[in-house]
Amino acid sequence: MANFLVKRLLQAIFVLFAITLLVAFAIRLTGDPALMLTQGAGSVTEADLVLIREALGINKPFFAQYFEFIVGLFSFDFGRSFLGGTPVSDLISTSLPATLILAVSVMLISIVISIPLGIKAAVSKGKWADQTIRIVSLVGLSFPNFWLALMLVLVFSIWLQWLPPSGMYGFTSFLMPAFTMAIILTATNVRLVRSSMLETLQAQYIMVARAKGLSENTVLYKHALRNCAIPLITYFGLQFGGLLGGIVVIERVFNWPGLGSLAFDAVSGRDYPVLQAVITILSMLIVSVNLLVDIAYGLIDPRIRTE
Amino acid sequence: MTNRFSSSLSRYNSLEFILGALLTGGICFLVIFSDLIFQSADKINLSARLLAPFADPEHIFGTDPLGRDILARVVSGGTVSLQVGFLSVAGAVVFGVIMGLISGYYRGFWDVIVMRFADIQLAMPFILLAITFIAIVGGGLANMIFLLIISQWVQYARLVRGSVLSLRDREFIQSAQAIGVSSFSILFRHLLPNLIGPVIVLMTLNVANNILLESSLTFLGLGVDPLTPSWGGMLADGRTYIQNAWWVSVFPGVAILLTVLGLNLLGDWLRDSLDPTGKTSR
Amino acid sequence: MNTKQYFSMALKSIAMATSITAASLSFASTLTVSSPQDPGSWDPIDTFLINWASVSTNIYDGLTYRGPDLKLQPGLATSWQQLDNGTRIRFNLRQGVTFHNGEKFDASSVKFTFDRLMGDEGKKGPQRSNYAAIESVEVIDSNTVDFHLKAADPVLLTKLAGYGAMIVPPKYIQEKGEDFFNTHPVGTGPFKFVSYEPKVDIKLEAYDKHWGGAPKLSNLNYRFISEPSTAVAELQSGRVDLVIPPTIPIGMISTIEESPELDVVTTVSPSVYALRFNTKNGITKDERVRKALIYGVDRQAIIDSILGGQASAISSFQSPISFGNDPKMSPLPYDPAKAMQLLKAAGIKPGTKVQIDIRGNDSTFNEVTQAIASYLQIIGLNATIKPYETSVLINDIVPAGKTGEMFQQGWGGWTLDYDNTAYFMYHTGEKWNPYDSDPELDKLLESQRSLTDTKKREEILKSIANYTADRALEMPLYNLNAIFAVSKKVKGFVPVPDSRMRLNNVTVE
Repeated sequence: MANFLVKRLLQAIFVLFAITLLVAFAIRLTGDPALMLTQGAGSVTEADLVLIREALGINKPFFAQYFEFIVGLFSFDFGRSFLGGTPVSDLISTSLPATLILAVSVMLISIVISIPLGIKAAVSKGKWADQTIRIVSLVGLSFPNFWLALMLVLVFSIWLQWLPPSGMYGFTSFLMPAFTMAIILTATNVRLVRSSMLETLQAQYIMVARAKGLSENTVLYKHALRNCAIPLITYFGLQFGGLLGGIVVIERVFNWPGLGSLAFDAVSGRDYPVLQAVITILSMLIVSVNLLVDIAYGLIDPRIRTE
Repeated sequence: MTNRFSSSLSRYNSLEFILGALLTGGICFLVIFSDLIFQSADKINLSARLLAPFADPEHIFGTDPLGRDILARVVSGGTVSLQVGFLSVAGAVVFGVIMGLISGYYRGFWDVIVMRFADIQLAMPFILLAITFIAIVGGGLANMIFLLIISQWVQYARLVRGSVLSLRDREFIQSAQAIGVSSFSILFRHLLPNLIGPVIVLMTLNVANNILLESSLTFLGLGVDPLTPSWGGMLADGRTYIQNAWWVSVFPGVAILLTVLGLNLLGDWLRDSLDPTGKTSR
Repeated sequence: MNTKQYFSMALKSIAMATSITAASLSFASTLTVSSPQDPGSWDPIDTFLINWASVSTNIYDGLTYRGPDLKLQPGLATSWQQLDNGTRIRFNLRQGVTFHNGEKFDASSVKFTFDRLMGDEGKKGPQRSNYAAIESVEVIDSNTVDFHLKAADPVLLTKLAGYGAMIVPPKYIQEKGEDFFNTHPVGTGPFKFVSYEPKVDIKLEAYDKHWGGAPKLSNLNYRFISEPSTAVAELQSGRVDLVIPPTIPIGMISTIEESPELDVVTTVSPSVYALRFNTKNGITKDERVRKALIYGVDRQAIIDSILGGQASAISSFQSPISFGNDPKMSPLPYDPAKAMQLLKAAGIKPGTKVQIDIRGNDSTFNEVTQAIASYLQIIGLNATIKPYETSVLINDIVPAGKTGEMFQQGWGGWTLDYDNTAYFMYHTGEKWNPYDSDPELDKLLESQRSLTDTKKREEILKSIANYTADRALEMPLYNLNAIFAVSKKVKGFVPVPDSRMRLNNVTVE
C-alpha cells in the first residue's frame, strides 16, 4: 500500500511539473506583454519597451523565470499581475473561493436532481418513465451552455425581473449560473445513478430487505442508495475536476468574478503570472481530487494497486 | 413474461434509437445537400435586414442583421459544425486507438507515454488550454480540429489500452500468438474488433460534445471566418439581437440542440447495446 | 495564505455578497456605472486604458482640464504662459486645494508627480513616453512651477488634462508605498476612493472639499462587466444606471430605446475605423486597385443600415472633432462601375482573392466587414475574412506586416489631434505602418511636430489628410459615435467624446 501511495504521489507531482512547464512555455509564445501594456500609446520606442520588459522580469532566460515561478509556488507567491501590479495571490484569493462556491453549488444541485430521477429510472427500467427521464436529461446535456445562459437571463432577469443577470451579489445571483451548469451535468449523473442502482438492486440483500416487507422507499433510499454511495461519490469527484475546467464560459456570461474570468482576461492581456497561477491551481485541484479518488479506490479494491 | 419484457424493452430502446437516428440522419442529410435544396446563404441584402420569421415565404425563418436568409444559413452552417465534430473525432480515434493498442499490447515505454499523457490531459482545464492555444496559432477550422484531436486522442488511447489489457491474456489471443500470427494482425484483426464497441460509443458522444465546444469557442470570439456560416458564429452574433430579433439566435441554437441531442440519443442507445459494462460512462 | 484564511475569505465573499444588495438600496443618490474592463491599478502611470480614465477622471485632477465641450480649461493650474518659443511653460497653481487624505496640494506635488512619471517608477509603465517632451519641472515658489521642455510640444497642454499627468499626493505615496497606492488611489478630484475589489467593482464617494464644489452624487460605483449583453441586461434590470462605451453594440440600441425607463445618448467621438491596405505587396500595391476597392464599397449604406445612423462617413482617417480635419474633403462616392473599370485597367482578373484581417471580438465591425466583403463580391473580387484575437492582430500580425490585403484599424486618440493618428499610421518605421514608406509624407509629418503656430500646423495636418487620401492609403470607413445607455432616473448626464467623464453634476432620482 505504501508503495502504491508513493507511486501515485510521484505521478501527481510529475503531472503538475509537466503542466506548469508546458503552460509557462506556451504562454510565452502568445506575444509580448510590453506591447500589450503600451497598445494605446503610439509613441513608444524600443528603448521604452526594453525598460518595461525589465520591470516585468520577462527579459530573463526562460528557465530562470520558470525557476522563480516554482520557488514562489511553495510560498503561495505567484508574482505580480502585469496589468496593474497587484500580487497574483491577492487576485487568486478572491476568485478561487468564487469559483469553488459556484462549482460546489453546481454539484449539489445536480446531485439533488439526479439521485431521485436516477432511482426512478432504475426502478422503472425500460418503461416510459425511464425513457422520459433519460431523453429529457439528454436534452439538458445538448444545450450550448452559453446560449442556455443567455436565454435564462432573458427570461428571469429581463422579462420576469426575478434574478440579477450577473455578478456575485447575494444568493439569488447563484441560481442562474449554477443551474445552467447543473442542467448539463444532470444527464450524465442520472445515467450514473441509474446504472449503479440497477447493479445494486440485483444484490441479494435487497431481495432480502424486500422480502422482509420493508417499504419500497426505505429499500431504495436507505439500503440501495447507501450501497452505491461509494462509486457515485468517486464519479462525482472526478466530475468536479472537469467542471472546474469548463466553467470559463459560464463565468464570462454571468460576469462571475472567478478563476475562469481571471484566466480569460489574463490570456487576452498576456498576463503571464496570472494565467500560470490559475492553470496551476486548477490543475492542482483536479490532480488532488483524482489522487484522493485513486487512493480511496486503492484502499477499497486492492486489485487496482497492481495496475 | 420474459418475452414480453424483452420485446417491450427493445421497443422502448428503439424510441431512443428512432429519435436519435431521425434527428442525426435528417440534419446530416439537409446539411450535405444544402447546396441543392437551398440557395443564397451568403447573399447580403441590406434592405431586408432582420425580417421576422413566418411572414415572408421567401424567408421562412426570417433574415439576419445583414439581410441573409436564416434558414439557408442554418442549413449550410451545419457544414462547419459537422466537419468539426466528425473530423476531430476521426483524427482522435485513429491516433488514439493505434496508441492504445500499442501501449496495451507492448506495455513498457509506449505505455508510460500514453498513461502520462492521459494524466496530464485529465488535469488540464480544456477551455483555458484552448484559449491559450488559439492565442498562439490563431483561430480557424483546421486549428480548431487540430486542437480537439490533441486534447482528445488520449481518451481513446486509455479506453483501448484498458480493453487490450483485459483481452491480451485471453485464450484466443494467446493461441493466435502461439501459431505465429503477426503482431499487426493480432492487433487489428483480433483485438480491435473485440474492443470497438465502447470506442464507437465514445465517438458518438464526442462528436456531440465537440459540436458544442466549437460553438463555445466561437462564442468566445475564437472561431472561423465569419463569412462562412457556422452555428456557433450565428449564435455569437445573434446574442446582440436576442431581445429585438430572437430568431437570429434561436434557430441556430435549436439546430445545435437537435443535432447534439440526436447524437447523444444515438450514443446512449449504442451504449446500452455495445458497452454493457459501462466503460465509457466516466 | 493558509487554509484558515482561505476559509474566512470564502465566508467573507458570501457575507459581502448578501450585504451589498441591501447597502446599495439605502442610498438614493448612488450612480452605478458599468465599465467593460478593470485596469488593475489606479496609479496614473501604470496603464493606458480608456477604462482607467473613465473612473479616474473623477478621482484625480490635472493641471489643465478638458470637459465634454472639448475646450481646455484651468484645472489645478489657474493660468499658464508659454515662454521661450514654447520650450518653457509657467503654471500658476490653484491655492487651498487638498488631497483626499488631507495633504496640501502645492508646487512640490506637481514636481513630485512629474519626477515620478519621468523617473524610475515611470519607466516601468507605458505613460512616460507620451510626456517625453518634458525635460524637468522647476519649483519657482509654492504656487508656481516651470516646465522645461526638450522641444516645443503643441499637444502637451491637452495631455496634461489626462492620464499620466494626473497630480498625485507625494507624502501619501512615500509613506504607504507604491503598491498600496495602486489599489488605494488618492487625488484631488471630486470623488474619493472607498473600496476596490479586483475584477468586481470600485466604489467612490463625494469629496465635499473639492475646489470646484461638492459633487451632487453621494456615491459613485463602477462595476466591471465585459460582456455587452450582460451589461445591458444589468441596465434593464435596474442594477446599473449607466453603460459607457465601447460596450453597447449597435444592434442593441433599438432594444434599449424601446424600454420606457432607458435612453440612448450619443455624441461624436474620436473613434474612427478604416480598412488599411497592404501597399507593399499583392494587388493592393497598385493605387488604382486601392481606389477601386474604395469606390466599390457603399459606405453610406453600411452606416445607414448596419450602424443605424450612429456613425458618419469620413474622408481621411480622423473624426470631425480632430484638429487637422479638412471639412472641404469629401469621401469617394460609391461607384461600382468605376471600380470595375479601375480593376480592369490594373489587370485584376475577376475572382481574385482579397483577404481582410479583423479583430475577432468586435461584433459590430464584424458585420460591417461581412457587408464590405459582399460589396467586393459585386465588383468581382473574392473577399475572405480572417478574424484574429485582438492582441495577436495588433501586436504581431500588423507590426510584422503579415496581414492580408486589408486589415482593420480603429483609432481614437483622446488628444483629438490628427498628429496622434497620422504620425503613427504613415511615418516610415512606425509600428502601425508596416508597409509604406514615403519620404515626402515623412517630411510633412515631421515638419508640424514642434510648431507652436496653431494655424500653420493645422494647414500642414490638412495637407497630410489630403495627401493620404490621394494615395488611397486606406479605405476610410466611418466615425462612430460614443454610445451611452443610461437610465431615465439619471439627470444631468452629458455624454463625452472620449470616456473621460466627470460625473459631479449628475443626479439620480
